[in-house]
Amino acid sequence: MCEVRAMKVQEEYLRDLRERAEKALTKKAPLGPDIDLSQFYLCSPRERVEDVREIEDQLKEAALYAGVELEGEKAATYLQVDRSAVYERVQRAFQGKLEIMSSQEALQKYPELFEYWWGLVPVDADKYTAFAELCPTEGYFIRVFAHTKVEIPLQACLLMSERARVQSVHNIVILEEGAEANLITGCASVRGNESGVHIGVSEFYLGDNARLTFTMVHNWGEAFHVRPRTAARLGKNAFFSSTYVLLKPLASIQAFPQVFLEGEGAQATFQNIVFAKGNSYIDLGSTLLLKNRGCRGSSISRVCATDEAQVFARGRLIAYHDEVQAHLECKGMLFSPRAQIVSVPELEVHGAPRARLSHEAAVGPFEEEAVNYLRARGLKREEALSLLTQGFLNLDLPGLPEALRRYIEEIIRVTSRDVL
Amino acid sequence: MLYIEQLKVAVGDTLILDGVNLEIQEGEVHVLLGPNGAGKTTLLMAIMGMPGYRIVGGRIFFQGKDITNLDVEERARMGIGMAFQKVPTISGITLRTLGRLVLEKRGLTDALEETASRVNCLYLLDREVGKGFSGGEMKRAELFQLLLQRPLFSMVDEPESGVDLDSIALVGQALRELFERDQVRTKKRSGLIITHTGYILEYLNADRGHVLMNGRIVCSGNPRDLFADIRERGYQECARCER
Repeated sequence: MCEVRAMKVQEEYLRDLRERAEKALTKKAPLGPDIDLSQFYLCSPRERVEDVREIEDQLKEAALYAGVELEGEKAATYLQVDRSAVYERVQRAFQGKLEIMSSQEALQKYPELFEYWWGLVPVDADKYTAFAELCPTEGYFIRVFAHTKVEIPLQACLLMSERARVQSVHNIVILEEGAEANLITGCASVRGNESGVHIGVSEFYLGDNARLTFTMVHNWGEAFHVRPRTAARLGKNAFFSSTYVLLKPLASIQAFPQVFLEGEGAQATFQNIVFAKGNSYIDLGSTLLLKNRGCRGSSISRVCATDEAQVFARGRLIAYHDEVQAHLECKGMLFSPRAQIVSVPELEVHGAPRARLSHEAAVGPFEEEAVNYLRARGLKREEALSLLTQGFLNLDLPGLPEALRRYIEEIIRVTSRDVL
Repeated sequence: MLYIEQLKVAVGDTLILDGVNLEIQEGEVHVLLGPNGAGKTTLLMAIMGMPGYRIVGGRIFFQGKDITNLDVEERARMGIGMAFQKVPTISGITLRTLGRLVLEKRGLTDALEETASRVNCLYLLDREVGKGFSGGEMKRAELFQLLLQRPLFSMVDEPESGVDLDSIALVGQALRELFERDQVRTKKRSGLIITHTGYILEYLNADRGHVLMNGRIVCSGNPRDLFADIRERGYQECARCER
């Protein structure tokens, strides 16, 4: 295709996106409480910094609570505060092997990227996706080049410092053929900022034999509404592991990411670790579309709910091929008579009668026998409950590097101790 | 050290113990015998203060203090410990993590692996508590925790059940250590052990035995003599015996 024609195609595509977004701007999402976005101003631009030491302490603290150590030794770092990408860095050893930058910058640098822009998440899925297109506030672009294996985690952090604002980011992650990476993403509000809306569109493209472990930690103020819109496409023998950790109260979150397992032997695993407190409304799940021979997947939730929190733990497995296998598992623990956990498993088979899909779910209180056993070892009741919560939320996470595993366990340990 | 007076214990609406009297002095280890369903485990659970074992009459004293109405963790902190017969699975928590917490309660940090090694539990440290343990592993893991806890008064529910003959010696050695039976001069720790087979008496010289039947202690004496009599004549004879 000649350059002029390519530009024309791109312009038409972007115009079409815009038109579809405008039509969907009032379209309510099928799940979760509706948010009146007109009540929130768009967040403001921020100054860039060139050195990590110039980042304000309160931002570093907020990042840390979302699992991102800005001064830690990471392969690459992206920090966005409010509307702007304020800091990006690729460790010298990985320069030329991976890229990290704001998605707006990437779109300008690589016009061909528009093929990935809304390639998996429909721009008109609901008012939140539409808003992200019409009022974008950056987001990150990460690309790991073919056959590059990055063991040290990459990290991206999206912070909100202003009250009652909306941040609507669009992230694109591309792992080319045979690339491997571990990505930690932390999304949080800065201490003292209790209200706002975070919309996060994330599209992951994993080439053949690519492997990505993706860990996301959220830490928002108590009046925050969060609407992630995520999808991933997996090539042949690609592996995608997504772990989501939410241990602090917020107003509401609703997310139902989709993974398209398109290549033969592709694998995806989802793990949601949730401690729901206060009046939190939490509606989380994942959809795995198993489309090719040998595709496998699992979707596992561990949910603790207390106070008046409401949690919907969803999972949807859709088989399109005979030789696929996937499992859903939801375990919930209730600490309060006013808390609620609803497990919603869905298994669908389309023209693949030999596909193997399964699910198991259990929701209930703690085993008092276990609490009393620990008390007989001299632990106070609160200590016993904290330990059991910690154990309940500790998942055996497949493919997770040891450092990440220890990190998640530490967050759970501290939270379990603090919350009870 | 432990003094029990006319103890009556109910589980649900059923009266299991109906007036148990028992006294165990400092440094003494007693064994508890009795047919299935006699109330042996109930007695241990009631001394430990486990919820669900309701004391409806009588009193329990530990080191001169009435502990009848104290919570289980308060009793544990006073120095009462128990190796359970039935252990719940503690998902996601390894024996190492629990062991560390138990040690921390004593202000210690560094005896974990060495203690585990003595009861052949090193390879169990990174497994979830109670999950998939064999009978012998369960017993050793329980004794391991008691050794870390170092209670003044330890209760052990059937230490030899489900344990192969090779492991019984190890269990016996752990019990000797728990009760400091090799330290004649400093012998201060006491205990109560439920045994069905009496094998454990080969490794631990218990001071006194008691036969519990129908919710009461019907006979007390030298544990080896008691066992010999029971082997010969069965428990029914204990009910008639006027020793």
